[in-house]
Amino acid sequence: MTIYLNDAEAKLIGLDEIIAQCRCRCPQGNRLKTNRHFYGPADKKPLQQEFDAIEALMALLKASPQEVIAAQRLLSQLRELRGSLHGLESERLLDETEFFELKRAISIFNQLAERKQLLEAAKVCLTVLEEAQNLLDPAGSGAQGFHIYSAYSAKLSELRKEKLELEIQLEAQSGEARQHLLKKRNLCCAKEDEEEERVRRELGIRLLHWLPELRANLEACGQLDFRLARAELALKWQARKPETVDTGEPAELTAAWHPMVQASLKKSGAAFTPHSLQIKKGSTIITGANMGGKSIALQTCFLSLALTQLAYFPPCEALKTPLYDFLSFSAGESGNFNLGLSSFGMEAIRIRDDFRRSQQKRGLVVMDEPCRGTNPNEATAIVQALCQAYGASQSSLLIATHYKVLPGRGLHFYRIKGIRQTDMDKLRTATVLQDSELIRQIQALMDFELEEVDGSQHTPSAAIQIAELLGMDPNLIQTMQALWQEEKWQK
Amino acid sequence: MRAYVTNEAEVNVDGLTSESQFLQLARLEGLSSLALVGLSKNSGKTTTLNHLIRAWQQAGTPRPLALTSIGRDGEEEDVVSGQPKPRLYVYSGTYLATARSSLNRCDALLDILALSGIRTNFGEVAICKVLSSGYVELAGPSQASDLLECERLLREQDSSGFFVVDGSLSRRAQAGGGLTQGLILAVGAVTSANPEDLAETTAHALSLLSVPALEATTSEYVQNLLVSEPCLRVIALPQANDSPAKMLSLPSLVGQAKAIAGLLDGKLKTLMLRGALTDSICKSLLAEKHFQDLTLAVEDGTRLFISPGMLRKLLQKGIQLAALYPLSVRLICLNPFKADGSPADRTALLKALRSISSIPVEDFGPTLI
Repeated sequence: MTIYLNDAEAKLIGLDEIIAQCRCRCPQGNRLKTNRHFYGPADKKPLQQEFDAIEALMALLKASPQEVIAAQRLLSQLRELRGSLHGLESERLLDETEFFELKRAISIFNQLAERKQLLEAAKVCLTVLEEAQNLLDPAGSGAQGFHIYSAYSAKLSELRKEKLELEIQLEAQSGEARQHLLKKRNLCCAKEDEEEERVRRELGIRLLHWLPELRANLEACGQLDFRLARAELALKWQARKPETVDTGEPAELTAAWHPMVQASLKKSGAAFTPHSLQIKKGSTIITGANMGGKSIALQTCFLSLALTQLAYFPPCEALKTPLYDFLSFSAGESGNFNLGLSSFGMEAIRIRDDFRRSQQKRGLVVMDEPCRGTNPNEATAIVQALCQAYGASQSSLLIATHYKVLPGRGLHFYRIKGIRQTDMDKLRTATVLQDSELIRQIQALMDFELEEVDGSQHTPSAAIQIAELLGMDPNLIQTMQALWQEEKWQK
Repeated sequence: MRAYVTNEAEVNVDGLTSESQFLQLARLEGLSSLALVGLSKNSGKTTTLNHLIRAWQQAGTPRPLALTSIGRDGEEEDVVSGQPKPRLYVYSGTYLATARSSLNRCDALLDILALSGIRTNFGEVAICKVLSSGYVELAGPSQASDLLECERLLREQDSSGFFVVDGSLSRRAQAGGGLTQGLILAVGAVTSANPEDLAETTAHALSLLSVPALEATTSEYVQNLLVSEPCLRVIALPQANDSPAKMLSLPSLVGQAKAIAGLLDGKLKTLMLRGALTDSICKSLLAEKHFQDLTLAVEDGTRLFISPGMLRKLLQKGIQLAALYPLSVRLICLNPFKADGSPADRTALLKALRSISSIPVEDFGPTLI
């Protein structure tokens, strides 16, 4: 149960970058984030618990931001303690800095445990370790620092008094008397070291008693941290809680958007057109003109569904989805020269593996223009066959293609609305513009919205028109149009 | 070398300056930070720091000392010569920033107050307070930015602390970099037992350490640029105020002379270089026809690693050196012992060193421990 995505595709979709925006404060939270636990069909209940906690924390973040900031400040002081806890367990002699870290952690647990409202919202439990705190702060001063306190041992206390007296005497002595005092001091220091070691060993043994609670509290702090971080991200995106539906039901995305693409468009003064669509069992085919944003639509949908199964609120107005056994995204392979494999070879392997998986499990397979570099006649056959095969399976295929796919059982069609002919004509009469401005204007006229169609219409294409608008040689355009008409007529 | 003694009579010999005069001579009152820099290895830096600590304690100064070092110092034995090296003795109330593994080698009672997150070869740097006096080993960070973080963490404990950075064993490592305001230079007969030679070497070091401040408006402009773009290594400022500055972000200055030379166009007023400025970089720049009649600025004088000959060549081409953060050399401390531990002519060395500048030059003798 996982997400199949190579590094290039992960980068393309922006999954890593999006997850990096989720800012955990402590190493335990960061570890949960990095682990990327994938919630499959059997994890519906724990996933729901995650979502409920995030939703409650979002409300708390809105109502009492100061409460959350204070908790996050505490969480940020937690350190990686696996080494020290393992040391405790194996009865290794811990050093003073390790006791300092444990003392800080226990103090943080106890302070967080007082924040009942926060813990209730986050659905985590922390055990108060008052006795352990007292052990590491024998004077009960509440001081944050740590050293091997004289209070731990009468012998240690005596040795330190002796050392202090020797130091006072040293200030007033010189010559042989001083040498003698220095020797005595060295001896005293050696005894102090020995006694400190004995105390450290004893402290370790006593702390071992709370090892299960220490581990559980660290785990709980990690959960609290990760849930808080996801709640912050959800608030930033104004994201809504996703709904999980039964296996076999369609996934339904309403006004899904891509945070990174949106941010990049915003910089250039453009707006992102949110996508809404249903992904039923079978094949969902997205068609549309060049520059219509099919790839972005696929990436946006995949991102939202992947984030949902990783227990994040997706950037959508609403999302309902069954929990898939696996998710796969392939953007077409570019080949691997190091391995000496061709582009199509790599792509065929990927298609093969996805299909095999989809026969055994219920997955969502997303393909962005497969076989784009293949002979168009063969490619059309491959894509048609894939759509039909997935159409008859328990899995879902979401595919963007320029190749004609004929309607059939289990096949559903969407298309990007594209540019209206009247708008295209207006642009044709516009004054001569720079290339970048022309592309920007074409994009501005493009309607990126998805609309459901029945699949009987011809595959929309505006490649030759766009080439014409971009100032391609008129004779060349004329020949292109003539050949295109002939091709259509023949079909 | 006898860097420390146990007999007070050896401390109070003729020609030595009393430790009680240390603070008065170094004029440290107005400073919040200080760097201790050695002219060479075994020049008596740790002994100087011990004098400072004792003088601070004896004067009953209410501000606590906050000590760290660049890299590790305070070994019991010189790793090269095998001679015993002075240890650092600190008093209760002092703050330290030192690596975890060094804590095991301290016999002072230390309260661990914070862990800095700064990693060194000797472990993470811990912030501690000395609860009962004793010997310590300092092993601080080596990056300037990490030293700044140590200062911030030490000031979190006591904002009034006097932050002292002990330079590393390597010659004049980056003790400055805008980190400290004052500087004490430790000079030893290890460098040369010949008074004239030692005076000449020290005079050259002083001329580099004391390079004047970059002109105020330019300095402010450069400082602001460095805040907004911390990775900048090279900033070329044109003579015309309305022309834009040219900048380079590089991992270091080493091997980048060609890239730097690419910014020279004969119209520059100031060329600011961040990092160690060596003879090799200067040599490459001097080969460029447009490298003349401009101000060559560095962060502070500790970044200059150029020979007297190279300094002369720069001056001949009308290159003026300047520092973004000028350092004030407060005191020169002499260690008159040679590498083998035998004494050099203290009086002659003091006389020669005193002739080169108005900065006080003193021999406080070995530390009494």
